[in-house]
Amino acid sequence: MALLLSAAVVNAAEDEYEFKNAEQAQTFKELTLELRCPKCQNQNIADSDAIVAKDLRDKVLTLVHEGNSKQEVIDYMIDRYGYFVHYQPPVTPATIILWVLPVIIVVLGFGFIVFRQKKAAIKQPWSAADDKRLEQLIAQYQRKERQQ
Amino acid sequence: MNRKILGFLPFLIFVLLCVFLYQGLFGNPRELQTGRLGQTMPSFNLPDLMDENKRWTEKDLLGEVYLMNVWGTWCPTCIAELGYLTKLREQGVKIVGLYYEQAYDPDFGDHFDMNALRKEVDTMLSRAGNPYQFNILDLERSLALDLGVSGAPETFLVDKKGTILLHHTGDINQRVWRSKFLPALEELQ
Repeated sequence: MALLLSAAVVNAAEDEYEFKNAEQAQTFKELTLELRCPKCQNQNIADSDAIVAKDLRDKVLTLVHEGNSKQEVIDYMIDRYGYFVHYQPPVTPATIILWVLPVIIVVLGFGFIVFRQKKAAIKQPWSAADDKRLEQLIAQYQRKERQQ
Repeated sequence: MNRKILGFLPFLIFVLLCVFLYQGLFGNPRELQTGRLGQTMPSFNLPDLMDENKRWTEKDLLGEVYLMNVWGTWCPTCIAELGYLTKLREQGVKIVGLYYEQAYDPDFGDHFDMNALRKEVDTMLSRAGNPYQFNILDLERSLALDLGVSGAPETFLVDKKGTILLHHTGDINQRVWRSKFLPALEELQ
């Protein structure tokens, strides 16, 4: 639903704006969906009615018109609003754990399963000593039964 | 022994994860959203709020430590902090206003009158206290965008060389001033 709504807003926005070519229109559309409104808790700038979201939309439009690439526009925004403004988190020392943690968990979990199965698959050797011990235990048990 | 530790490992991971998520719950996401820290004040050339013939650039602000306070008369929190900011001015803190008017934008207001705005600002400042040395008028919000302002009030602490040391979102009160601005100012000396 939210996706449909935001798509509708972008389409509405596109009607207002004119582009030199389809590529620029596409870049603008992608950017407004990917950039996060700095004032709102969790909305992209295509979706938000906040004044700052409108300012960012206008700025994105200008930058796209000037022929900036998508990455250049994103860098421009990050320079001002920090990494918060982009929905795709970059790999930095602070966020590396977010990227690596899922991989570690999957590898550890898989390793654990393999380890358990291998252990279960090992055939326990049965020796004469084990035979003797079993007989002993049976005899002990039977003695207990008789005593009751 | 080894097995015991291994058995506790999932529990340990669970506890660590809880601490991590708990922090996320009470952390302030707004604190992270600033890209201008440690950089110099972006260049600008904007008129004075009260006198359109007077223009300000970033060079006029060099040589003194100052606060740049983003505000507007349409913003209730900005009005609320005027009193405390005025106290700071009386203590010798230099405060520059960056004024932006929402009603100027056709999408957010239906009419705009510069003279009415000046009168409104005058009345407001004489009633609630005037903390500003002067006000820079940023009608197009171009400087606000370059500074990474997402709303009002927001305040920047800038040193003599024009480097932005702090970017605070929300109002300034005694608690914020003591915990955030004073330590930064002490570090300067």
